[in-house]
Amino acid sequence: MKPFEKILTKNMSNPQYTGSLQDYEATGGYQALKKVLAGVPQNDIIEMVKKSGLRGRGGAGFPTGVKWSFLPKDYQGPKYLCCNADESEPGTFKDRQLMERDPHQMLEGMAITCYTIGAEIGYIYIRGEFRFGAKVLERAIEEAKQAGHLGVNVHGSGVTINLYVHAGAGAYICGEETALLESLEGKRGKPRVKPPFPATHGLYQKPTVVNNVETLANIPHIVSRGPEWFAAIGAPPKSTGTRVFCLSGHVKNPGNYELPVNATFRDLIEELGGGMRSDKPMKAFIPGGASAPFLTPKHIDVAMDFESVAMAGSMSGSGGVTVMEEGTSMVWAALRLMEFFYHESCGKCTPCREGSSWIVQILQRIQNKQGRQGDLDTLSEICKNIGGRTVCAFGDAEIAPVQSTLQYWRHEYEALIQEAEALRATRKEKEIPVLSL
Amino acid sequence: MATTKTKKMVTVSIDGKSIEVPEGTLVIEAARQVGVMVPHFCYHPKLEPDANCRMCLVEIEKIPKLQTSCSTRVADGMVVRSSVPHVETARKSVLELLLGNHPLDCPVCDQGGRCDLQDFSHEYTMGSRFTELKRVFPKEHLSPLIETQMNRCVSCMRCVRYCDEVMDAKALAPVGRGTMTKISHWAGNELECDFCGGCIQICPVGAITSRLSMYDFRPWMLKRAETICNFCGDGCQMTVQRKDEDLIEVNSTLGAGRNDGDLCARGYFGYHANVHADRLMHPLIRQADGSFEEVTWEEALERAADQFAQIKAAHGADAIGGLITARCTNEELYAFQKFMRGVIGTNNVDSSARYGYINGVKALQRVQGIHRWAVTFDDIVEADVVVLVGTSITETNPITGLKIKQGIKKNGAKLITLETAIPAFSTISNITTLATHHLTVLPGCFGAAVLGVIKGLVEQNLVNERVSSQASDFATTIIAAVEKISWQEIQQSVGLSLEQCHAAAQTISQAERVVVLAGQGVLRATGGEGIVTNLLDLLILAGHHGNEGSGVGVLAEENNEQGAIEMGVVTEYLPGPTKADDQTTQTMLAKVWGRDVPSTPGATMVEMLDRARQGTMKAMFIVGENPLESLPPDAKVSEALDALECLVCQELYLTETAKKAHVVFPASSAVEKDGTFTNTEGFVQSVRKSLDPLGESLPDWEIFSALSVLMNSPMEYGEVKEIFKEIRGVIPQYGLLGPTSTPHVVNAEILAQYLREGFKEDVEVRYTIPQKAAKSEGALTLVLGQSIYHSGKFTTRSKGLSQIQESGVLNVNPDDATRIGVEDGASLRLSNGHGEVTVPVKLVDRIPLGVAWFPEHFDQELRALFSLTVDKRNHVPCWKTTEVQATRVS
Repeated sequence: MKPFEKILTKNMSNPQYTGSLQDYEATGGYQALKKVLAGVPQNDIIEMVKKSGLRGRGGAGFPTGVKWSFLPKDYQGPKYLCCNADESEPGTFKDRQLMERDPHQMLEGMAITCYTIGAEIGYIYIRGEFRFGAKVLERAIEEAKQAGHLGVNVHGSGVTINLYVHAGAGAYICGEETALLESLEGKRGKPRVKPPFPATHGLYQKPTVVNNVETLANIPHIVSRGPEWFAAIGAPPKSTGTRVFCLSGHVKNPGNYELPVNATFRDLIEELGGGMRSDKPMKAFIPGGASAPFLTPKHIDVAMDFESVAMAGSMSGSGGVTVMEEGTSMVWAALRLMEFFYHESCGKCTPCREGSSWIVQILQRIQNKQGRQGDLDTLSEICKNIGGRTVCAFGDAEIAPVQSTLQYWRHEYEALIQEAEALRATRKEKEIPVLSL
Repeated sequence: MATTKTKKMVTVSIDGKSIEVPEGTLVIEAARQVGVMVPHFCYHPKLEPDANCRMCLVEIEKIPKLQTSCSTRVADGMVVRSSVPHVETARKSVLELLLGNHPLDCPVCDQGGRCDLQDFSHEYTMGSRFTELKRVFPKEHLSPLIETQMNRCVSCMRCVRYCDEVMDAKALAPVGRGTMTKISHWAGNELECDFCGGCIQICPVGAITSRLSMYDFRPWMLKRAETICNFCGDGCQMTVQRKDEDLIEVNSTLGAGRNDGDLCARGYFGYHANVHADRLMHPLIRQADGSFEEVTWEEALERAADQFAQIKAAHGADAIGGLITARCTNEELYAFQKFMRGVIGTNNVDSSARYGYINGVKALQRVQGIHRWAVTFDDIVEADVVVLVGTSITETNPITGLKIKQGIKKNGAKLITLETAIPAFSTISNITTLATHHLTVLPGCFGAAVLGVIKGLVEQNLVNERVSSQASDFATTIIAAVEKISWQEIQQSVGLSLEQCHAAAQTISQAERVVVLAGQGVLRATGGEGIVTNLLDLLILAGHHGNEGSGVGVLAEENNEQGAIEMGVVTEYLPGPTKADDQTTQTMLAKVWGRDVPSTPGATMVEMLDRARQGTMKAMFIVGENPLESLPPDAKVSEALDALECLVCQELYLTETAKKAHVVFPASSAVEKDGTFTNTEGFVQSVRKSLDPLGESLPDWEIFSALSVLMNSPMEYGEVKEIFKEIRGVIPQYGLLGPTSTPHVVNAEILAQYLREGFKEDVEVRYTIPQKAAKSEGALTLVLGQSIYHSGKFTTRSKGLSQIQESGVLNVNPDDATRIGVEDGASLRLSNGHGEVTVPVKLVDRIPLGVAWFPEHFDQELRALFSLTVDKRNHVPCWKTTEVQATRVS
């Protein structure tokens, strides 16, 4: 692996770094904000971010500068920035660390973004369980206000930037940007039908930008060091910069690791993660959070940028890499994730709501050795009928573990079903046949 | 701006059929227009698309994924395919998924036979592979009227969305997540809401059904009759359904009638009021000992005819008076006044329009020369600004209220409310919460409040230039008149500030289409005609009057008050309405009727009762009206009725008034007869019979006809249509049903006359703030008002509505309650010079400080506290407000 410079976790890599305003300013913090407020035209910042190639770090990887440019230019009235800090994807825990350990980095990013899009208010929608993170952020906002980095007339520029922390109430779906907006408005967290998109009809039906924590944390660095510097890192032109990857599962050293976006899974798992935790070889890994289809050891040399992972048949999503060793039941793994998705399906769309409960029940049966012939066909059928048929991407996400395990480890399912058939033959009571109409 | 814009048309092709539709049309609607029915659960034309059921997926060329046709808008050249195999597969899969968790309990489901899930299953599914466990919700109680079976729910959220988007009640919400989502009221409490029945009507499956007729029917057993509701002036279309001779339920059809499928609590749950077991089944004659005896029709009719004839012979026709309820059909109202004028020979004829509606119609007639609104419900929806003055619109005219909500929510209209209720949220809708400007006006102060707004307009120089140049006399007089009124006076009288009035006036002035609606608070007040006239002045000064989409409307409380006035069932009007002394009409009627039309001026209701007490009125014929319970004891109605030599009552029930009668005729209710009603905006609509008359009861017109025969002056009508034919000949506006052939346009000549001369007559009186006695320390203003759940005393007999509200509870502001020291559910003793009454108390946020509100439907005891004032101009009895001291009952 080539040597590289950490961007987002550089400060916190220093054991002395507390994340206080003083520490952050000592590393050059808030200079980028001062620089833009001193008179960089807003369009220039958008162009800068576009040129940097920064893509959303929440999962979908949408180019950030392009997203900002969708806001109506001459809109009179309030606009909003929402920071999506509802990090709930199983296997993903990078935003938490970025917020807890270096809150000002993200706040500065938010302040610059607010200025750029013309929003006076920015909300941080933080996952309800992140009590500590919320406290850290609130303290940091207070500090920044005292220092004049936030509030009315920031650094004498006449610009008002107020940031608020809003804690969620424990729904995974509120990480979906429109559900997040609904929840922030005080409504039930359910995704909205798009179009219209948040860029024109977002929070309170006003133009709104929703960005992930890590995305926003990159902004001050792009502003200070220029888009060319950022665009040179990673795999330009499509995937640039670094990402904080979350490594978990059966590895020696799980944790957050910042790497250029195009580093390979091998770099992450073997070099930084120290390889497998025992002598058992790797059996599978999830490359980008629970919503990403499973990959196999033969994909270990795939680069982790959006395109490469997509080529391999999965997605780099939120950057949560979960490694599983030989001996792990793939049916069990799929079931475990499916139970999560069933629990978190908001219930808006029929396919996702009903499909997730059906799939869970079938998987439970197979796992409990009560599977039947035909179950696997039914499973694939249900998955096919969920994918692409729902309002938000949750439907596509929830079928990923089932479809990918069926693709690579179908024999495990079949073995369990055969076992069930064999068991059934030894039972005295006859099972009631299923009527086929 | 809400004006109807011509939209760009685009061409789309759906299943090979091409159609041109306005840009922005939803694909599902465009499909319907070419005859392609896209199956759906969550879509409803009244609601914003939610695209949650995923049933309406279609293929659209150039878009890779299937799209929901309920949320996708057409684009030019779009090619849509709705019946290709993979679209059908997608629909089958949605159905398979929905049926997975559905209990398939169709045999015991009231929706069975008219259920979308059943119908689509029949059309699409090929069986189910679902062999797992179904989710099961424990049975929960939502309301005595509304049954929920959440196991049947398909989570389309139509009920929740309707409750929020259309009713603005927000009484229902989804609780839980995923498959365990269920519909519930706030914190799982028993439902408290508008009870419009909309959730039941809009549910595509059997998840929400009515408990009033639960398990009593299968839909295909029902016989339907399309008719008009008889509970308020809105004139809603409803479909009354019966099984054999039992009323089973009432629905309304989307797109039909003035209500477009929406109903209110009275319309949806109140129908049993017509057929309560207490209905009079036989004619009654009072015996010497005071008891009633059931007699044959012949006996009863002969007795009444004899009495009327004797009294007429002995004391003249004017010793007889007639009073009829405006709940009757136009035909009956017409026949009644013809009976009184032509057969008896007197102008002593009056109806319940006298309770206040007459004030409104007279003002309209006076200023604009038409006795109908110059606007329609559609104009309310399209208005830029709606002004409500003393309406309590959700309670009195709920569907007109929905038009306002629709205008606000869909077209961004602004609302100005001069109302007693204050903005406060609850799960019962409150129109003032939607107001851009809310001006709290206590009962009895609406006149002063209107003057405040006019003053606001004048002070900000917002008087329209065209008006001040073309009608300079009018403008300068009014400007001078309002300048004489000081803000201090307004502040003291009604509690409104300069800023409030200025803001409201500015909003009115800036808009293009302004609709002003005046309700009972204005119409039933003394000087009510003057207040409505002032509202017309306001619109004239702002330059809106006479423009398309602008105008003043007055709200009728009873279903046919407009009709009653047009049929000439008020003393001062002949059918038309034309003035009773109008010779041309008299001659015309005499020719049509073949009888003389009396020329002596008649007596109004209050005058008739006065004359009865004085002994000059000897007999009265009271049809469906109940003055004894509609007026306070202070009006001495009881004494008046006791003094009569002959009282003939024609009634559905033995009311307090009917108990004093010598002869009682059993009449049929609105569901048992044909005819027409004219709603408050002037639409004449057909009433159709759904049941045969109960017992021996007869439609009112048949009784009048029979009586006239016995009085040797037969009005021979074979069927009700013949009366309508006669009405058509007499009143040109009744040429067509529905929107009348005469467009509602202001008569420019009369208006010009008003602006030149007419306004002067009473301008001084109208532009003076009436002196108000200072309120004594700690006193409450007690108001009798209409509840959202009842219509007069009539519906207190409805088994559905009485389950929502079966007795009166005094609503007071929580802060007043704290001051008095009374808690929710405790009792208060109300007292004033007239007496004292103890009533239970409920704390309600929307009641303003210093007011205690009580539903008029249960005012039996409370009436004693009120005194009657009779409006000088139109003899309207005003009495619904009084002052009381309230003390806690320990």
